[in-house]
Amino acid sequence: MHKPSEWKIHALVLAMVVVSEFIGIKSFQVGPGKAILLPMLYALVIGFLMGPKFLKVVNLEEMKLATPFIGLSVMLLIAKYGTTIGPSIPLLLKAGPALILQEIGNFGTIVFAFPIAMLLGFGREAIGAVHSIAREGNLAIIADMYGLESPEGRGVMGIYICGTLFGAIFFGIMAGFFASLKIFHPYALAMACGVGSASMMAASSGALTAVYPAMAKEIQAFASASNLLTAADGVYASIFVAIPFTEWLYRKFGRKDNVTRAAQADLAAGREGN
Amino acid sequence: MANWRDTLRILIIVAGITLVGNLIGFKVNPIEAIPGMLVLLGIVIAGLILAKLIPLKLPSIVYISLIGIILTIPGFPGAAWFAAQANKVQFLALCTPVLAYAGIASGKDLDEFKKLGWRIVVVSIFVFIGTFVGSAAIAQVVLKLTGQI
Repeated sequence: MHKPSEWKIHALVLAMVVVSEFIGIKSFQVGPGKAILLPMLYALVIGFLMGPKFLKVVNLEEMKLATPFIGLSVMLLIAKYGTTIGPSIPLLLKAGPALILQEIGNFGTIVFAFPIAMLLGFGREAIGAVHSIAREGNLAIIADMYGLESPEGRGVMGIYICGTLFGAIFFGIMAGFFASLKIFHPYALAMACGVGSASMMAASSGALTAVYPAMAKEIQAFASASNLLTAADGVYASIFVAIPFTEWLYRKFGRKDNVTRAAQADLAAGREGN
Repeated sequence: MANWRDTLRILIIVAGITLVGNLIGFKVNPIEAIPGMLVLLGIVIAGLILAKLIPLKLPSIVYISLIGIILTIPGFPGAAWFAAQANKVQFLALCTPVLAYAGIASGKDLDEFKKLGWRIVVVSIFVFIGTFVGSAAIAQVVLKLTGQI
């Protein structure tokens, strides 16, 4: 563990943090709304560029070494979120019904993405892909129920990789955009940020606080409480509701043949390379 | 994580990096933020220990959250002090190192990503919009119905 390359990663992260924080929060107009760019997103993108494909600062070994550091650094963030929830418990209790019921909104992945997956020609991949936002817990369930080499497994892996690569960026921009549209109350948006991924929640709730700095504390409390709920109920929601519901949808509207269409071939090709 | 010494060492390094970001991005003097950072470190360590001791199969982040909540809930001894100290460590400053590590580690997923094809990327965008808009819409309606907004 005490290899010099570990210190190289920490030194790089320090440098990336310094640069990103110096640039600071930026926002710009996109159509009717605003896009908010946060230092964490610069750090993420600089990190991508460090690899052998671009700047060649880190090699594959060092990238692998960095993986467990994500989980550990997230823990400090989670502790911080706990300390934001505590003082807001009275407010959270008052908003309890909304906080609990909005968890159902996480099935919006199926409502929004299932029809698109069908239009694009996916087969049973769609079940893995749309049943949840495909974070680690969901990956484990699909692996357990279907195996990761199955079509369902390829579907969930595809979304998992997309989420890892641009989930935080997408959520940050989407949340800032919705906040500037002023359709939803900031509390409602804050609850929507708790999708069960620390980085996606951080990026989206961070963008919200940039738009509504006066409500920063309430936004963080709602977002982290909702994220905590999703972390606790997400696995059960997947097993007992999301997967059976998606299976049912697929039986009703899915492909009846076994012809491998372009969409399925895309994902299959992705697995062959491993 | 390999063992407690590694875990502790890395947590302290991340804490140090965060204090630097907290200074540059939010102009909080690290000396002033150290007690808050120690509170957060203590919560993490206590959470990790609980996760080991309690035989329930819950992720350690659940215990870490719960300890953070209990320490700062109004009425708990010293709650106001814990909350005030933790407030000096800005949450955005805590996020930046997490995503910096994630960026370095995820560079290796870029190859996988290129093989995926555009269709799954389109599906993923609708997955992300779906969970966000779904939750926001329900929250909005229920908050309105219960007279909270």
